[in-house]
Amino acid sequence: MYAVEVNNVNVYIEGHHILKDVSLKVPYNTVFVIMGPSGSGKTTLLRVINRLIDLVDGARVEGEVKVLGYNALRADPYELRRNIGMVFQVPNPFPHLTVYENVAIAARINGAAKTKSELYSIVKWALEKAMLWDEVKSRLNDYPHKLSGGQRQRLCLARALAMKPKLLLLDEPTANIDPINARKLEEAIVSLKDEVTILMVTHNPHQAARVADYVAVMYDGRIVELGPANHVFLRSSTEITQKLLRGEL
Amino acid sequence: MYNWRRIRDNLFKIIVLSLAVLALTPLFHLIVVVFINGLSTLLEAGWNFFVDLPPTPLSQRLGGVAPSLVGTFLLTLTSLPVTIALSLFTAILVTEFPKSRVSLVVDTIAKSLASVPTIAVSMVVFSLAITIVNSVPGIRVYLSPAGSALLGSFALIIVALPFSYTYFSTFLRSVPFTYKEAAYSLGMSRWAVIMRVVIQVVKKSMLVAVLMTMARIMGETAALLFTAGRYRSGVPTSILGPVDAIPLLIFDYILSPFEVWHRVAWGVTLILLLFYMLIFFIVKIGVKEVKLT
Repeated sequence: MYAVEVNNVNVYIEGHHILKDVSLKVPYNTVFVIMGPSGSGKTTLLRVINRLIDLVDGARVEGEVKVLGYNALRADPYELRRNIGMVFQVPNPFPHLTVYENVAIAARINGAAKTKSELYSIVKWALEKAMLWDEVKSRLNDYPHKLSGGQRQRLCLARALAMKPKLLLLDEPTANIDPINARKLEEAIVSLKDEVTILMVTHNPHQAARVADYVAVMYDGRIVELGPANHVFLRSSTEITQKLLRGEL
Repeated sequence: MYNWRRIRDNLFKIIVLSLAVLALTPLFHLIVVVFINGLSTLLEAGWNFFVDLPPTPLSQRLGGVAPSLVGTFLLTLTSLPVTIALSLFTAILVTEFPKSRVSLVVDTIAKSLASVPTIAVSMVVFSLAITIVNSVPGIRVYLSPAGSALLGSFALIIVALPFSYTYFSTFLRSVPFTYKEAAYSLGMSRWAVIMRVVIQVVKKSMLVAVLMTMARIMGETAALLFTAGRYRSGVPTSILGPVDAIPLLIFDYILSPFEVWHRVAWGVTLILLLFYMLIFFIVKIGVKEVKLT
């Protein structure tokens, strides 16, 4: 059984062929990293999995995508997304909500909390898991613009976790934050894999090496290499992967 | 040696400041003139200005503007909610489905309506009322061709709708897509995304849009010329009967040759101005701006 099974998926956006016959399987409770240069289709693949691709005008998806037992392309997208957390490349906490409310809104939407005390427990748990609790426990009523970029991104991670998702999609979550915050986020990711399956997109091979159990390398809309992290990093068989690892792509 | 960069910088500052002063001078002039002329009327008439009927042309006493105040209140009460509801939902439709044919048609119609002269709207609504009254027996009870709050409201809705729509659609479009994306990723429905995120992020702007629309409705004159009825001999009690409105009273009285009516017009203009200032003060102080991250 796999948390995500993608079979022969093709995506077209306004006539452009973006994903080409992509297939991969993500085992439960692992960190699966997708690497590749800009424009290789990594983010599009994540958006197919949680159906955010529906928001893109002129997008057409072909193939089969199974996510947590759902036929993702036919399932109710709202119900599907309530089981999948997502953290985006640019931190996007809701600016009109406080730190507490940003996390609580996710728990409220999927009905994870029935009472105020349950809600508080979930918010605290999510902020702890995102390694942010100690920094914001006395500032829960502050608005996100008062947090640093890295704290905002960890707040977004906490928001995603408060949904109690079974699958977490991370789209280059450390791309726009400083190294210290990036390291904290990585630690949070590794500590989470016992509770949630993680599918992460990154540009950074070193980061992938630190966190990944499995790696897929994408180039020009195709998966060019796929396998356990050690295998891909130590015995890479494709020139594209080797160039990516050397930082030449 | 001359520091040309500093000289250019200072010159630019002086030009910008002068243009700002030039742009604001008419506004300050207007406010000062209205205060000087209106305040003496309000001080002399006192509380009676709000509850009395207007004076006769040769009257020694100032009287009041109760019919216009109540009329404007009735017109605003009946037209504002409809205008806001229609324009907000239209703006949501157009911003959520920007590429659909319906949106394109609606957007084009709304923008075209904004350029129609408001007196033409008044005339069309008036003609429509005459046609309906002549062709539907018994409807005269509900639709007086002599004018009514209902007819006036209808004209005001047509006039205010494109303005209100433009404000709402501009503010809704200004919400960064990344917040909507985050909301969708949490499993929110489209409706929840709009109500719990998009509108909340721009709530101050949305309130400003409502108040600007209200100001437009309360200050509109031409749309009411043929539709409201100018009823000044009593306080209106029904939306089916004729009503007066503050701008109509100002228009009629300031054009008259009677000194007492001029004074009443200045007094009621000051009331309108104070009301606007109060509203914008409340918005400025009372509603917190959302700071984007």
